[in-house]
Amino acid sequence: MSTATRGGAERAATLLPVLRRVLLTRGPLLLFAALLLYLSLASSAFLSMANLLSSLTQAAPIAIVSFGLAAVVMGGGDDVVAGGIDLSIPAAAALATAVVSDQLTNQGAGVIWAFTLAVLAALIVGALNVLLVTVVGLTSILSTLAMYATVVGVIRVYTGNRRITVDDPTMLFIRDARPLGIPMPVWVMFAAALAFWLLLHRSAFGMRLQAVGGNQEAAATSGIRPRPYIAASFLIAGVAAAVAALALVARGSGSSPGIDERLLVDMVLATFVGAAFSRRNIVTVPGAMLGAILVALMSNGLILIRVDNSWIDGFKGVLILIVVAAAALQNRRRT
Amino acid sequence: MTTTDTATSFNLGAWVAKYAFVAAFAGLFAFFSLRTTTFLSTSNLMNVLEGSMILLFVALAMTLVVSSGGIDLSVGIALDFGAWFVLIAMLEFDLAWPLALIVALLGGALVGALNAFLIVGLGVTPFLATLGTFFIGRSAQQIGTGGGGNVSFRGAPEGFQSLARGDTLGIPNALIIGAVVLAVFYVVLQRSTHGTRIHAMGLQDPAARVAGLRTRRYRALVYVLSGATASIGGILLSSGLRLYTPQAGFAYLLDAIAAVFIGASMHPRTRPNVPGTLVGVLFLGVLGNGLDLLGLDFNVKAALRGGILVLALALAFLVSKHSAASPASGE
Repeated sequence: MSTATRGGAERAATLLPVLRRVLLTRGPLLLFAALLLYLSLASSAFLSMANLLSSLTQAAPIAIVSFGLAAVVMGGGDDVVAGGIDLSIPAAAALATAVVSDQLTNQGAGVIWAFTLAVLAALIVGALNVLLVTVVGLTSILSTLAMYATVVGVIRVYTGNRRITVDDPTMLFIRDARPLGIPMPVWVMFAAALAFWLLLHRSAFGMRLQAVGGNQEAAATSGIRPRPYIAASFLIAGVAAAVAALALVARGSGSSPGIDERLLVDMVLATFVGAAFSRRNIVTVPGAMLGAILVALMSNGLILIRVDNSWIDGFKGVLILIVVAAAALQNRRRT
Repeated sequence: MTTTDTATSFNLGAWVAKYAFVAAFAGLFAFFSLRTTTFLSTSNLMNVLEGSMILLFVALAMTLVVSSGGIDLSVGIALDFGAWFVLIAMLEFDLAWPLALIVALLGGALVGALNAFLIVGLGVTPFLATLGTFFIGRSAQQIGTGGGGNVSFRGAPEGFQSLARGDTLGIPNALIIGAVVLAVFYVVLQRSTHGTRIHAMGLQDPAARVAGLRTRRYRALVYVLSGATASIGGILLSSGLRLYTPQAGFAYLLDAIAAVFIGASMHPRTRPNVPGTLVGVLFLGVLGNGLDLLGLDFNVKAALRGGILVLALALAFLVSKHSAASPASGE
């Protein structure tokens, strides 16, 4: 970014406004491009197929929970404090992961039964959110944050805060199989992206959901009752959590304590960084996937060039601020 | 603005809303008194009060920010910086302890200033701005402590240690500090024109601006004060433990948010308010202490605590919604 600015200043003053506009509208993308370019120059392993595929595999659960979050943000409106947000998705995903692992390893259940139970568990979390948000009338940030803490506690009781290793052949297949050279979890991510894109961006349901999120009163006036749509968005988030559990179990060969926390951070980062890539600066499914991939690439790249673990959080923090600040400035110019 | 309304129009619904949660609180209190022999002793109740003071500061900071229509996810970082800076100032820079307190407050204010710059200067939403600050602050602590080591100061000056451990005229110093800060917050936020303006800003920012309020200046001040207030909690934590542990503040974030909203549910128009926050803080203090005394497994305690919190919030808001009040949250 800095080299581009310097180059522009040297040439002509007429270039400056254009450059400024490009930097503001495409700033986040340019920033990521510069970072990725730097990482590929600093580490020869960064652009290797193995690293790219491993980054994509790591992006899979992040992307899938971000799709769920995208549904809730669309239905609740993008004001994070008063509008829609679901911080409990990572906890629901961790719960589903624990249920699958426990069923497969300790209860001797089949894969289908294990996942049915996992979907049920995640849907219960979603249904409780629906109850708290639409019936009780709590703001979604408060109810899902409290739900997050509760579910994490439930997971700790359920698993005794211990790791559950899975060696079920189907799960090992999902972990190791590579149709067309691409790992299964990545296929799961692509399939989920397609399904969520169709549901949220290309269906009548998706349009109504976005209408509710955009302006509840206007939607209600034109005959769309907001409540069922908001309720549906939290249940969709629950389903997303259960699908993410598939990728999580495959990636980690089971369930480990503490997966929820890293997932929470990465989900929020991916979803809102992804929003900065969309033209109207809103949360979208493709944006969320792009955000998740960039977050995973960056985490991997920073580890490859041996950045100390202590710095990585700070790096992510600065990055999210630059991206959302650029988006905010862009919005301000427009209004 | 907020309190005069209750005085002028008394209605039954609001009254029930106000006391349903208090009744549940009393039930919890009675349960712990019956199930444990130690809960209902003067010394234990004093412990609950003293133990609640750190959360009180964080929750007051959050009350201020939520009143202005925002949220501050970095209060835990401000607490950490307070706890950290006060020890470093004495250990490494040999400052007298009262000066070290000022350094700690500045540390918290610094966190708030970064938020203010992002929110007021750049127009980033409070959630994302304070989340970014949270990550940066967490990283800064990791880097500054060489990967997350503790900073211990066993031989801290007597005066500093007495902030959390000593008492004056038989009253613990922590309670006195808490009462003073609480009173200041009550007067400023509930009884002064500044408080009215902050609430106005939180309810209708464009309207407040049209009415001539300098919302940018007020909003910046709100975040800086939030950071400084949370850092008082950090000072108390370091004074009591003579030890700083990186990221200890995170544990207070959810509790602070919960306390503010439990408090808001008791308000006739579900606005955050200082007395309500105090009730929320005491509820969480009693809950934590009681669950400790029941001698439950660590994991079971975490799950129960979360579940009861969700139930309490649901109860508080369900009742307030069905009374005359219109929830500020849904708008």
